Amino acid sequence: MIPVELYIGLSVVIFSIGLYGFMTQRNGVRMLMCVELMLNSANINLVAFSSYHGNLTGQVFVLYVIALAAAEAVVGFAILMSIFRMKDMIDLDKINILRW
Amino acid sequence: MDLMLFAPEITMVATGLAVLLIGLFLPVDSKKVLGYLASLGIIAALYLTIVSLGTNTLAFYDTLSVDALSQFFKIVFLVVALLFSIASIKYTEGSAHVEEFYVLAIFATIGMMLVASANDLMVLFVAFELASISTYALAGFEKKNPQSLEAAMKYFLIGSLSGALMLFGITFLYGVTGTTSIPGIADSGAAIAASPIGIIAVVLLIAGMGFKIALAPFHMWAPDTYQGAPSLVSALLAAGSKKMGIVAAFKVFIVALIALQVQWQIAFAVLAVITMTLGNVAALSQTSVKRMLAYSSLAQAGYITMAFVVLTPMALGGGILYALSHGFMKAGAFIATAAVVYMVLSENKDTKDPDHIDNFKGLGQRMPVTALSMTIFVFALAGIPLTAGYMSKFVLFSSTIQAGFAWLAVIAIINSAISLFYYAKIVKYMYFLPTEGTKVSEPLPYTIALVVAVIGVLAIGFWPEPFIYWAMEAGKVLLAGGI
Repeated sequence: MIPVELYIGLSVVIFSIGLYGFMTQRNGVRMLMCVELMLNSANINLVAFSSYHGNLTGQVFVLYVIALAAAEAVVGFAILMSIFRMKDMIDLDKINILRW
Repeated sequence: MDLMLFAPEITMVATGLAVLLIGLFLPVDSKKVLGYLASLGIIAALYLTIVSLGTNTLAFYDTLSVDALSQFFKIVFLVVALLFSIASIKYTEGSAHVEEFYVLAIFATIGMMLVASANDLMVLFVAFELASISTYALAGFEKKNPQSLEAAMKYFLIGSLSGALMLFGITFLYGVTGTTSIPGIADSGAAIAASPIGIIAVVLLIAGMGFKIALAPFHMWAPDTYQGAPSLVSALLAAGSKKMGIVAAFKVFIVALIALQVQWQIAFAVLAVITMTLGNVAALSQTSVKRMLAYSSLAQAGYITMAFVVLTPMALGGGILYALSHGFMKAGAFIATAAVVYMVLSENKDTKDPDHIDNFKGLGQRMPVTALSMTIFVFALAGIPLTAGYMSKFVLFSSTIQAGFAWLAVIAIINSAISLFYYAKIVKYMYFLPTEGTKVSEPLPYTIALVVAVIGVLAIGFWPEPFIYWAMEAGKVLLAGGI
Protein backbone atom coordinates (compact mmCIF):
# COMPACT_ATOMS: atom_id res chain seq x y z
CA MET A 1 0.00 0.00 0.00
CA ILE A 2 1.27 3.48 -0.83
CA PRO A 3 1.98 5.41 2.40
CA VAL A 4 -0.22 8.45 3.04
CA GLU A 5 2.81 10.77 3.12
CA LEU A 6 3.30 10.34 -0.64
CA TYR A 7 -0.26 11.45 -1.29
CA ILE A 8 0.25 14.51 0.88
CA GLY A 9 3.47 15.22 -1.01
CA LEU A 10 1.62 14.99 -4.32
CA SER A 11 -1.20 17.24 -3.16
CA VAL A 12 1.22 19.83 -1.73
CA VAL A 13 3.13 19.89 -5.03
CA ILE A 14 -0.07 20.35 -7.05
CA PHE A 15 -1.31 23.01 -4.63
CA SER A 16 1.96 24.90 -4.93
CA ILE A 17 1.81 24.75 -8.73
CA GLY A 18 -1.70 26.16 -8.56
CA LEU A 19 -0.72 28.92 -6.13
CA TYR A 20 2.36 29.83 -8.17
CA GLY A 21 0.29 29.98 -11.34
CA PHE A 22 -2.33 32.12 -9.63
CA MET A 23 0.32 34.60 -8.53
CA THR A 24 2.15 34.83 -11.86
CA GLN A 25 -0.49 34.40 -14.58
CA ARG A 26 -2.47 37.43 -15.74
CA ASN A 27 -4.99 35.69 -17.96
CA GLY A 28 -8.36 35.25 -16.29
CA VAL A 29 -8.96 31.74 -17.62
CA ARG A 30 -5.53 30.53 -16.61
CA MET A 31 -6.02 31.91 -13.11
CA LEU A 32 -9.31 30.03 -12.92
CA MET A 33 -7.52 26.83 -13.96
CA CYS A 34 -4.97 27.38 -11.21
CA VAL A 35 -7.77 27.67 -8.66
CA GLU A 36 -9.16 24.38 -9.96
CA LEU A 37 -5.72 22.81 -9.42
CA MET A 38 -5.70 23.98 -5.84
CA LEU A 39 -9.21 22.64 -5.21
CA ASN A 40 -8.27 19.29 -6.74
CA SER A 41 -5.13 19.00 -4.65
CA ALA A 42 -7.39 19.37 -1.63
CA ASN A 43 -9.51 16.55 -3.07
CA ILE A 44 -6.48 14.27 -3.27
CA ASN A 45 -5.77 15.07 0.36
CA LEU A 46 -9.33 14.31 1.39
CA VAL A 47 -9.47 10.96 -0.40
CA ALA A 48 -6.06 9.92 0.90
CA PHE A 49 -6.95 10.80 4.47
CA SER A 50 -10.32 9.14 4.08
CA SER A 51 -8.69 5.81 3.23
CA TYR A 52 -6.03 6.36 5.92
CA HIS A 53 -8.61 6.89 8.65
CA GLY A 54 -10.99 4.31 7.21
CA ASN A 55 -14.04 6.60 7.34
CA LEU A 56 -16.08 8.01 4.49
CA THR A 57 -16.32 11.65 5.58
CA GLY A 58 -13.49 12.69 3.28
CA GLN A 59 -15.00 11.06 0.22
CA VAL A 60 -18.37 12.70 0.85
CA PHE A 61 -16.57 16.02 1.22
CA VAL A 62 -14.88 15.47 -2.15
CA LEU A 63 -18.25 15.17 -3.87
CA TYR A 64 -19.33 18.51 -2.39
CA VAL A 65 -16.06 20.13 -3.43
CA ILE A 66 -16.45 18.92 -7.03
CA ALA A 67 -19.98 20.34 -7.18
CA LEU A 68 -18.85 23.63 -5.66
CA ALA A 69 -15.90 23.93 -8.02
CA ALA A 70 -18.28 23.51 -10.95
CA ALA A 71 -20.64 26.17 -9.60
CA GLU A 72 -17.75 28.52 -8.99
CA ALA A 73 -16.42 28.01 -12.51
CA VAL A 74 -19.86 28.80 -13.96
CA VAL A 75 -20.08 32.14 -12.19
CA GLY A 76 -16.43 32.90 -12.87
CA PHE A 77 -16.67 32.24 -16.58
CA ALA A 78 -19.85 34.29 -16.76
CA ILE A 79 -18.03 37.26 -15.24
CA LEU A 80 -15.03 36.76 -17.53
CA MET A 81 -17.35 36.50 -20.54
CA SER A 82 -19.00 39.83 -19.77
CA ILE A 83 -15.58 41.43 -19.43
CA PHE A 84 -14.46 39.88 -22.70
CA ARG A 85 -17.57 41.20 -24.46
CA MET A 86 -16.86 44.69 -23.23
CA LYS A 87 -13.09 44.86 -23.69
CA ASP A 88 -12.24 42.06 -26.11
CA MET A 89 -9.55 40.69 -23.77
CA ILE A 90 -9.18 39.23 -20.29
CA ASP A 91 -5.68 40.39 -19.46
CA LEU A 92 -6.07 41.40 -15.85
CA ASP A 93 -3.15 43.83 -15.91
CA LYS A 94 -5.15 46.02 -18.28
CA ILE A 95 -8.35 45.94 -16.23
CA ASN A 96 -7.53 48.58 -13.67
CA ILE A 97 -10.02 51.42 -13.51
CA LEU A 98 -10.43 50.91 -9.80
CA ARG A 99 -7.44 52.08 -7.87
CA TRP A 100 -6.38 55.14 -6.01
CA MET B 1 -35.30 16.99 16.17
CA ASP B 2 -37.57 19.94 15.82
CA LEU B 3 -37.86 21.39 12.32
CA MET B 4 -39.19 24.62 13.82
CA LEU B 5 -35.60 25.39 14.86
CA PHE B 6 -34.73 25.86 11.21
CA ALA B 7 -37.89 27.77 10.38
CA PRO B 8 -35.89 30.94 9.58
CA GLU B 9 -33.80 29.11 6.97
CA ILE B 10 -36.82 27.29 5.57
CA THR B 11 -38.70 30.59 5.31
CA MET B 12 -35.79 32.14 3.47
CA VAL B 13 -35.50 29.24 1.02
CA ALA B 14 -39.24 29.36 0.37
CA THR B 15 -39.10 33.13 -0.15
CA GLY B 16 -36.18 32.80 -2.53
CA LEU B 17 -37.87 30.14 -4.64
CA ALA B 18 -41.18 32.02 -4.62
CA VAL B 19 -39.50 35.23 -5.77
CA LEU B 20 -37.68 33.38 -8.54
CA LEU B 21 -40.75 31.54 -9.84
CA ILE B 22 -43.21 34.44 -9.56
CA GLY B 23 -40.69 36.72 -11.20
CA LEU B 24 -40.68 34.52 -14.29
CA PHE B 25 -44.32 35.25 -15.03
CA LEU B 26 -44.49 38.95 -14.19
CA PRO B 27 -44.19 41.74 -16.74
CA VAL B 28 -41.28 44.12 -16.09
CA ASP B 29 -43.36 47.00 -14.76
CA SER B 30 -45.03 44.94 -12.03
CA LYS B 31 -41.84 43.27 -10.76
CA LYS B 32 -41.78 45.77 -7.93
CA VAL B 33 -43.96 43.38 -5.96
CA LEU B 34 -41.03 40.96 -5.71
CA GLY B 35 -39.18 43.41 -3.49
CA TYR B 36 -42.12 43.58 -1.09
CA LEU B 37 -42.39 39.78 -1.11
CA ALA B 38 -38.69 39.34 -0.35
CA SER B 39 -38.82 41.94 2.42
CA LEU B 40 -41.84 40.23 3.99
CA GLY B 41 -40.10 36.86 3.88
CA ILE B 42 -37.02 38.31 5.54
CA ILE B 43 -39.13 39.98 8.24
CA ALA B 44 -40.84 36.63 8.92
CA ALA B 45 -37.46 34.88 9.15
CA LEU B 46 -36.18 37.62 11.46
CA TYR B 47 -39.20 37.18 13.72
CA LEU B 48 -38.74 33.40 13.80
CA THR B 49 -35.07 33.86 14.69
CA ILE B 50 -35.77 36.30 17.49
CA VAL B 51 -38.35 34.03 19.14
CA SER B 52 -35.91 31.12 19.05
CA LEU B 53 -33.19 33.06 20.90
CA GLY B 54 -32.22 31.03 23.92
CA THR B 55 -32.68 27.55 22.50
CA ASN B 56 -29.59 25.42 22.56
CA THR B 57 -29.54 22.21 20.58
CA LEU B 58 -27.88 20.24 17.79
CA ALA B 59 -29.63 18.98 14.67
CA PHE B 60 -29.07 16.99 11.46
CA TYR B 61 -26.60 14.46 12.90
CA ASP B 62 -24.90 17.19 14.95
CA THR B 63 -23.83 19.11 11.86
CA LEU B 64 -25.90 22.20 12.65
CA SER B 65 -26.23 23.89 16.02
CA VAL B 66 -28.88 26.31 17.19
CA ASP B 67 -27.60 28.36 20.10
CA ALA B 68 -27.20 31.94 21.24
CA LEU B 69 -24.21 32.45 18.94
CA SER B 70 -25.88 31.17 15.79
CA GLN B 71 -29.15 32.99 16.45
CA PHE B 72 -27.39 36.26 17.24
CA PHE B 73 -25.42 36.19 14.01
CA LYS B 74 -28.52 35.13 12.05
CA ILE B 75 -30.18 38.28 13.36
CA VAL B 76 -27.21 40.32 12.12
CA PHE B 77 -27.43 38.76 8.64
CA LEU B 78 -31.20 39.04 8.42
CA VAL B 79 -31.15 42.68 9.51
CA VAL B 80 -28.60 43.47 6.80
CA ALA B 81 -30.60 41.50 4.25
CA LEU B 82 -33.76 43.37 5.25
CA LEU B 83 -32.13 46.79 4.84
CA PHE B 84 -30.69 45.64 1.53
CA SER B 85 -33.97 44.29 0.28
CA ILE B 86 -36.04 47.37 1.22
CA ALA B 87 -33.57 49.73 -0.43
CA SER B 88 -33.32 47.51 -3.52
CA ILE B 89 -37.00 48.05 -4.29
CA LYS B 90 -35.99 51.43 -5.70
CA TYR B 91 -32.64 50.32 -7.11
CA THR B 92 -34.12 47.51 -9.21
CA GLU B 93 -37.08 49.56 -10.39
CA GLY B 94 -37.56 49.12 -14.12
CA SER B 95 -34.96 46.35 -14.41
CA ALA B 96 -35.84 43.09 -16.12
CA HIS B 97 -33.66 41.11 -13.68
CA VAL B 98 -35.31 41.92 -10.35
CA GLU B 99 -35.88 38.27 -9.43
CA GLU B 100 -32.25 37.30 -10.02
CA PHE B 101 -31.09 40.19 -7.88
CA TYR B 102 -33.31 39.22 -4.96
CA VAL B 103 -32.75 35.48 -5.27
CA LEU B 104 -28.98 35.87 -5.23
CA ALA B 105 -29.17 38.11 -2.18
CA ILE B 106 -31.54 35.75 -0.37
CA PHE B 107 -29.39 32.71 -1.11
CA ALA B 108 -26.29 34.60 0.00
CA THR B 109 -28.09 35.33 3.27
CA ILE B 110 -29.03 31.67 3.66
CA GLY B 111 -25.37 30.75 3.20
CA MET B 112 -24.36 33.22 5.88
CA MET B 113 -27.05 31.91 8.24
CA LEU B 114 -25.88 28.34 7.75
CA VAL B 115 -22.27 29.34 8.44
CA ALA B 116 -23.50 30.79 11.73
CA SER B 117 -25.20 27.46 12.51
CA ALA B 118 -22.49 25.14 11.22
CA ASN B 119 -21.10 22.64 13.65
CA ASP B 120 -19.10 20.73 11.05
CA LEU B 121 -16.38 22.03 8.76
CA MET B 122 -18.01 20.42 5.73
CA VAL B 123 -21.26 22.32 6.29
CA LEU B 124 -19.29 25.44 7.09
CA PHE B 125 -17.35 25.27 3.83
CA VAL B 126 -20.38 24.53 1.66
CA ALA B 127 -22.40 27.34 3.25
CA PHE B 128 -19.42 29.69 2.96
CA GLU B 129 -19.22 28.98 -0.76
CA LEU B 130 -22.98 29.36 -1.20
CA ALA B 131 -22.74 32.88 0.18
CA SER B 132 -19.57 33.65 -1.78
CA ILE B 133 -20.78 32.42 -5.17
CA SER B 134 -24.07 34.30 -4.85
CA THR B 135 -22.27 37.52 -4.00
CA TYR B 136 -19.79 37.17 -6.89
CA ALA B 137 -22.70 37.38 -9.28
CA LEU B 138 -24.30 40.24 -7.34
CA ALA B 139 -21.13 42.33 -7.45
CA GLY B 140 -21.14 42.13 -11.25
CA PHE B 141 -24.85 42.79 -11.54
CA GLU B 142 -24.51 45.95 -13.61
CA LYS B 143 -23.07 44.03 -16.51
CA LYS B 144 -22.76 47.06 -18.79
CA ASN B 145 -20.76 48.97 -16.19
CA PRO B 146 -16.99 48.30 -16.43
CA GLN B 147 -16.46 49.26 -12.77
CA SER B 148 -18.99 46.74 -11.57
CA LEU B 149 -17.48 44.01 -13.75
CA GLU B 150 -13.98 44.75 -12.59
CA ALA B 151 -15.16 44.67 -8.99
CA ALA B 152 -16.84 41.31 -9.58
CA MET B 153 -13.78 39.86 -11.26
CA LYS B 154 -11.40 40.90 -8.49
CA TYR B 155 -13.81 39.67 -5.86
CA PHE B 156 -14.30 36.39 -7.68
CA LEU B 157 -10.61 35.64 -8.18
CA ILE B 158 -9.59 36.51 -4.64
CA GLY B 159 -12.68 34.82 -3.23
CA SER B 160 -12.00 31.56 -5.04
CA LEU B 161 -8.36 31.68 -3.93
CA SER B 162 -9.49 32.17 -0.33
CA GLY B 163 -11.91 29.27 -0.67
CA ALA B 164 -9.13 27.02 -1.97
CA LEU B 165 -6.76 28.02 0.85
CA MET B 166 -9.43 27.44 3.46
CA LEU B 167 -10.34 24.06 1.98
CA PHE B 168 -6.72 22.96 1.94
CA GLY B 169 -6.42 23.93 5.60
CA ILE B 170 -9.59 21.99 6.44
CA THR B 171 -8.26 18.86 4.71
CA PHE B 172 -5.20 18.90 6.97
CA LEU B 173 -7.37 19.19 10.05
CA TYR B 174 -9.36 16.23 8.79
CA GLY B 175 -6.12 14.37 8.15
CA VAL B 176 -4.86 14.84 11.69
CA THR B 177 -8.13 14.21 13.52
CA GLY B 178 -10.11 11.95 11.19
CA THR B 179 -13.27 14.02 11.60
CA THR B 180 -14.72 17.25 10.27
CA SER B 181 -16.94 17.90 13.25
CA ILE B 182 -15.91 21.10 15.07
CA PRO B 183 -16.25 19.70 18.63
CA GLY B 184 -14.57 16.50 17.40
CA ILE B 185 -11.56 18.48 16.22
CA ALA B 186 -11.46 20.33 19.53
CA ASP B 187 -11.36 16.95 21.32
CA SER B 188 -8.27 15.93 19.34
CA GLY B 189 -6.56 19.19 20.26
CA ALA B 190 -3.50 17.42 21.63
CA ALA B 191 -2.91 15.59 18.33
CA ILE B 192 -3.16 18.85 16.35
CA ALA B 193 -0.80 20.67 18.69
CA ALA B 194 1.74 17.83 18.50
CA SER B 195 1.76 17.62 14.70
CA PRO B 196 3.54 20.16 12.47
CA ILE B 197 0.53 19.94 10.16
CA GLY B 198 -1.49 21.82 12.78
CA ILE B 199 0.52 25.01 12.18
CA ILE B 200 0.17 24.65 8.40
CA ALA B 201 -3.58 24.30 8.82
CA VAL B 202 -3.74 27.40 11.03
CA VAL B 203 -1.77 29.46 8.50
CA LEU B 204 -3.96 28.33 5.60
CA LEU B 205 -7.16 28.94 7.55
CA ILE B 206 -6.07 32.40 8.70
CA ALA B 207 -5.22 33.29 5.10
CA GLY B 208 -8.51 31.87 3.76
CA MET B 209 -10.69 33.63 6.31
CA GLY B 210 -8.50 36.73 6.35
CA PHE B 211 -9.39 37.26 2.69
CA LYS B 212 -13.09 37.07 3.50
CA ILE B 213 -12.88 39.35 6.55
CA ALA B 214 -10.48 41.57 4.54
CA LEU B 215 -7.73 41.66 7.15
CA ALA B 216 -4.55 43.34 5.94
CA PRO B 217 -2.47 42.04 4.13
CA PHE B 218 -5.32 40.04 2.57
CA HIS B 219 -7.47 43.12 1.95
CA MET B 220 -6.41 44.25 -1.57
CA TRP B 221 -9.68 43.23 -3.18
CA ALA B 222 -11.99 44.90 -0.67
CA PRO B 223 -11.64 48.62 -1.53
CA ASP B 224 -11.82 47.88 -5.26
CA THR B 225 -14.84 45.62 -4.92
CA TYR B 226 -16.76 47.86 -2.53
CA GLN B 227 -16.13 50.85 -4.77
CA GLY B 228 -17.02 49.19 -8.05
CA ALA B 229 -19.95 47.01 -7.02
CA PRO B 230 -23.45 48.53 -6.90
CA SER B 231 -23.65 50.46 -3.60
CA LEU B 232 -26.34 48.21 -2.16
CA VAL B 233 -24.29 45.12 -2.93
CA SER B 234 -21.36 46.78 -1.17
CA ALA B 235 -23.65 47.15 1.83
CA LEU B 236 -24.39 43.43 1.74
CA LEU B 237 -20.71 42.57 1.34
CA ALA B 238 -19.35 44.88 3.99
CA ALA B 239 -22.08 44.35 6.53
CA GLY B 240 -23.03 40.73 5.85
CA SER B 241 -20.35 38.76 4.08
CA LYS B 242 -17.61 40.15 6.31
CA LYS B 243 -19.50 39.05 9.46
CA MET B 244 -19.80 35.60 7.93
CA GLY B 245 -16.00 35.42 7.79
CA ILE B 246 -15.87 36.54 11.40
CA VAL B 247 -18.35 33.98 12.69
CA ALA B 248 -16.59 31.24 10.70
CA ALA B 249 -13.26 32.30 12.21
CA PHE B 250 -14.84 32.32 15.68
CA LYS B 251 -16.00 28.76 15.20
CA VAL B 252 -12.86 27.41 13.60
CA PHE B 253 -10.27 29.08 15.80
CA ILE B 254 -11.90 29.59 19.17
CA VAL B 255 -13.87 26.34 19.24
CA ALA B 256 -12.02 23.85 17.02
CA LEU B 257 -8.41 25.03 17.26
CA ILE B 258 -8.31 26.19 20.86
CA ALA B 259 -5.29 23.89 21.39
CA LEU B 260 -3.20 26.14 19.12
CA GLN B 261 -4.45 29.27 20.89
CA VAL B 262 -0.97 30.72 21.51
CA GLN B 263 0.02 30.55 17.85
CA TRP B 264 -3.09 32.12 16.35
CA GLN B 265 -3.47 34.73 19.07
CA ILE B 266 -0.14 36.26 18.08
CA ALA B 267 -1.09 36.15 14.41
CA PHE B 268 -4.44 37.83 15.08
CA ALA B 269 -2.82 40.48 17.30
CA VAL B 270 -0.46 41.45 14.47
CA LEU B 271 -3.24 41.33 11.85
CA ALA B 272 -5.60 43.42 14.02
CA VAL B 273 -3.05 46.18 14.53
CA ILE B 274 -1.97 46.30 10.86
CA THR B 275 -5.57 46.16 9.62
CA MET B 276 -6.99 48.95 11.77
CA THR B 277 -4.03 51.25 11.20
CA LEU B 278 -3.85 50.68 7.46
CA GLY B 279 -7.64 51.02 7.08
CA ASN B 280 -7.81 54.32 8.94
CA VAL B 281 -4.71 55.86 7.36
CA ALA B 282 -5.71 54.86 3.83
CA ALA B 283 -9.24 56.18 4.35
CA LEU B 284 -7.92 59.67 5.11
CA SER B 285 -7.02 60.51 1.52
CA GLN B 286 -9.97 58.92 -0.34
CA THR B 287 -12.23 61.00 -2.54
CA SER B 288 -14.67 58.23 -3.37
CA VAL B 289 -17.05 57.83 -0.45
CA LYS B 290 -17.58 54.13 -1.15
CA ARG B 291 -13.85 53.55 -1.10
CA MET B 292 -13.55 55.54 2.10
CA LEU B 293 -16.27 53.41 3.68
CA ALA B 294 -14.44 50.31 2.43
CA TYR B 295 -11.26 51.33 4.19
CA SER B 296 -13.20 52.27 7.30
CA SER B 297 -14.75 48.83 7.11
CA LEU B 298 -11.24 47.35 7.18
CA ALA B 299 -10.56 49.32 10.32
CA GLN B 300 -13.76 48.05 11.93
CA ALA B 301 -12.80 44.47 11.09
CA GLY B 302 -9.49 45.19 12.81
CA TYR B 303 -11.32 46.22 15.99
CA ILE B 304 -13.51 43.10 15.92
CA THR B 305 -10.39 40.94 15.46
CA MET B 306 -9.19 42.18 18.84
CA ALA B 307 -11.72 39.78 20.37
CA PHE B 308 -9.57 36.88 19.12
CA VAL B 309 -6.55 38.28 20.95
CA VAL B 310 -8.21 39.04 24.27
CA LEU B 311 -10.43 35.95 24.35
CA THR B 312 -12.35 36.69 27.53
CA PRO B 313 -16.16 36.26 27.61
CA MET B 314 -16.59 40.02 27.80
CA ALA B 315 -14.27 40.70 24.86
CA LEU B 316 -16.04 38.10 22.74
CA GLY B 317 -19.36 39.64 23.75
CA GLY B 318 -17.98 43.02 22.72
CA GLY B 319 -16.78 41.68 19.38
CA ILE B 320 -20.12 40.03 18.68
CA LEU B 321 -22.03 43.17 19.69
CA TYR B 322 -19.70 45.12 17.41
CA ALA B 323 -20.67 42.80 14.57
CA LEU B 324 -24.34 43.69 15.08
CA SER B 325 -23.68 47.43 15.40
CA HIS B 326 -21.40 47.35 12.39
CA GLY B 327 -24.17 45.62 10.45
CA PHE B 328 -26.51 48.56 11.11
CA MET B 329 -23.94 51.33 10.74
CA LYS B 330 -22.12 50.13 7.67
CA ALA B 331 -25.19 48.91 5.81
CA GLY B 332 -26.84 52.24 6.62
CA ALA B 333 -23.86 54.27 5.43
CA PHE B 334 -23.68 52.35 2.15
CA ILE B 335 -27.44 52.69 1.62
CA ALA B 336 -27.19 56.44 2.20
CA THR B 337 -24.39 56.53 -0.37
CA ALA B 338 -26.60 54.49 -2.69
CA ALA B 339 -29.35 57.09 -2.31
CA VAL B 340 -26.89 59.85 -3.25
CA VAL B 341 -25.62 57.82 -6.22
CA TYR B 342 -29.21 57.28 -7.30
CA MET B 343 -29.91 61.00 -7.11
CA VAL B 344 -26.73 61.92 -9.02
CA LEU B 345 -27.38 59.37 -11.74
CA SER B 346 -31.00 60.39 -12.15
CA GLU B 347 -29.86 63.99 -12.71
CA ASN B 348 -27.17 63.06 -15.19
CA LYS B 349 -26.94 59.50 -16.46
CA ASP B 350 -23.29 59.71 -17.53
CA THR B 351 -21.69 61.00 -14.33
CA LYS B 352 -18.31 59.30 -14.03
CA ASP B 353 -17.88 58.94 -10.27
CA PRO B 354 -21.35 59.23 -8.77
CA ASP B 355 -20.02 58.49 -5.29
CA HIS B 356 -17.36 61.23 -5.37
CA ILE B 357 -17.35 63.25 -2.18
CA ASP B 358 -18.08 66.45 -4.12
CA ASN B 359 -21.55 65.08 -4.76
CA PHE B 360 -22.16 65.17 -1.01
CA LYS B 361 -21.78 68.98 -0.97
CA GLY B 362 -24.78 70.62 0.61
CA LEU B 363 -26.59 67.32 0.99
CA GLY B 364 -28.07 68.67 4.22
CA GLN B 365 -30.29 70.93 2.11
CA ARG B 366 -30.75 68.68 -0.88
CA MET B 367 -31.66 65.40 0.87
CA PRO B 368 -32.21 66.19 4.56
CA VAL B 369 -33.20 62.70 5.75
CA THR B 370 -30.34 60.97 3.94
CA ALA B 371 -27.85 63.54 5.19
CA LEU B 372 -29.05 63.26 8.78
CA SER B 373 -28.93 59.45 8.74
CA MET B 374 -25.50 59.48 7.11
CA THR B 375 -24.33 61.81 9.89
CA ILE B 376 -25.65 59.41 12.54
CA PHE B 377 -23.98 56.43 10.82
CA VAL B 378 -20.57 58.03 10.45
CA PHE B 379 -20.63 59.31 14.01
CA ALA B 380 -21.62 55.84 15.17
CA LEU B 381 -18.77 54.35 13.14
CA ALA B 382 -16.40 56.81 14.81
CA GLY B 383 -17.76 55.83 18.22
CA ILE B 384 -19.55 58.98 19.41
CA PRO B 385 -21.53 58.29 22.66
CA LEU B 386 -25.20 57.33 22.60
CA THR B 387 -24.77 55.34 19.39
CA ALA B 388 -24.26 51.64 18.77
CA GLY B 389 -20.64 52.21 17.77
CA TYR B 390 -19.83 53.77 21.11
CA MET B 391 -21.44 50.97 23.15
CA SER B 392 -19.66 48.20 21.28
CA LYS B 393 -16.32 50.00 21.31
CA PHE B 394 -16.75 50.65 25.03
CA VAL B 395 -17.39 46.96 25.83
CA LEU B 396 -14.64 45.73 23.53
CA PHE B 397 -11.93 48.22 24.52
CA SER B 398 -12.63 48.10 28.26
CA SER B 399 -12.47 44.30 28.22
CA THR B 400 -9.16 44.58 26.36
CA ILE B 401 -7.74 46.79 29.11
CA GLN B 402 -9.15 44.52 31.84
CA ALA B 403 -7.46 41.49 30.30
CA GLY B 404 -4.10 43.26 30.40
CA PHE B 405 -3.76 44.18 26.74
CA ALA B 406 -3.57 47.92 27.41
CA TRP B 407 -1.19 48.47 24.47
CA LEU B 408 -3.74 47.02 22.06
CA ALA B 409 -6.52 49.17 23.49
CA VAL B 410 -4.33 52.28 23.19
CA ILE B 411 -3.63 51.54 19.52
CA ALA B 412 -7.34 50.99 18.90
CA ILE B 413 -8.32 54.24 20.64
CA ILE B 414 -5.70 56.24 18.71
CA ASN B 415 -7.12 54.69 15.56
CA SER B 416 -10.66 55.69 16.52
CA ALA B 417 -9.42 59.23 16.92
CA ILE B 418 -7.82 59.19 13.46
CA SER B 419 -11.02 57.83 11.97
CA LEU B 420 -12.99 60.79 13.30
CA PHE B 421 -11.12 62.99 10.82
CA TYR B 422 -12.48 61.41 7.66
CA TYR B 423 -15.92 60.77 9.11
CA ALA B 424 -16.12 64.43 10.05
CA LYS B 425 -15.02 65.31 6.52
CA ILE B 426 -18.19 63.71 5.11
CA VAL B 427 -20.30 65.67 7.59
CA LYS B 428 -18.47 68.88 6.68
CA TYR B 429 -19.22 68.30 3.00
CA MET B 430 -22.87 67.58 3.72
CA TYR B 431 -23.62 70.54 6.00
CA PHE B 432 -21.01 73.24 5.63
CA LEU B 433 -20.15 73.41 1.94
CA PRO B 434 -22.39 75.29 -0.48
CA THR B 435 -24.11 73.52 -3.37
CA GLU B 436 -25.55 74.63 -6.67
CA GLY B 437 -28.03 71.73 -6.69
CA THR B 438 -31.60 72.09 -5.52
CA LYS B 439 -33.62 70.05 -3.06
CA VAL B 440 -34.68 66.70 -4.50
CA SER B 441 -37.39 64.36 -3.33
CA GLU B 442 -35.81 61.41 -1.60
CA PRO B 443 -36.78 57.96 -2.90
CA LEU B 444 -39.04 56.37 -0.31
CA PRO B 445 -37.54 52.84 -0.12
CA TYR B 446 -34.09 54.24 0.58
CA THR B 447 -35.55 56.48 3.25
CA ILE B 448 -37.37 53.58 4.95
CA ALA B 449 -34.19 51.48 4.98
CA LEU B 450 -32.22 54.41 6.40
CA VAL B 451 -34.80 55.06 9.13
CA VAL B 452 -34.76 51.37 10.13
CA ALA B 453 -30.96 51.42 10.34
CA VAL B 454 -31.00 54.68 12.35
CA ILE B 455 -33.48 53.14 14.79
CA GLY B 456 -31.17 50.14 15.17
CA VAL B 457 -28.08 52.28 15.74
CA LEU B 458 -29.82 54.46 18.33
CA ALA B 459 -31.56 51.52 20.04
CA ILE B 460 -28.24 49.83 20.74
CA GLY B 461 -26.84 53.17 21.90
CA PHE B 462 -29.67 54.17 24.26
CA TRP B 463 -30.86 50.78 25.46
CA PRO B 464 -27.86 48.47 25.24
CA GLU B 465 -28.66 46.00 28.07
CA PRO B 466 -30.53 43.30 26.09
CA PHE B 467 -28.06 43.51 23.20
CA ILE B 468 -25.05 43.22 25.51
CA TYR B 469 -26.74 40.37 27.38
CA TRP B 470 -27.32 38.32 24.22
CA ALA B 471 -23.89 39.11 22.83
CA MET B 472 -22.34 37.86 26.09
CA GLU B 473 -24.47 34.70 25.93
CA ALA B 474 -23.21 34.17 22.38
CA GLY B 475 -19.63 34.67 23.54
CA LYS B 476 -20.12 32.12 26.32
CA VAL B 477 -21.20 29.51 23.75
CA LEU B 478 -17.83 29.89 22.03
CA LEU B 479 -15.79 29.51 25.19
CA ALA B 480 -17.92 26.66 26.53
CA GLY B 481 -17.36 24.76 23.29
CA GLY B 482 -13.63 25.22 23.50
CA ILE B 483 -12.90 24.17 27.05
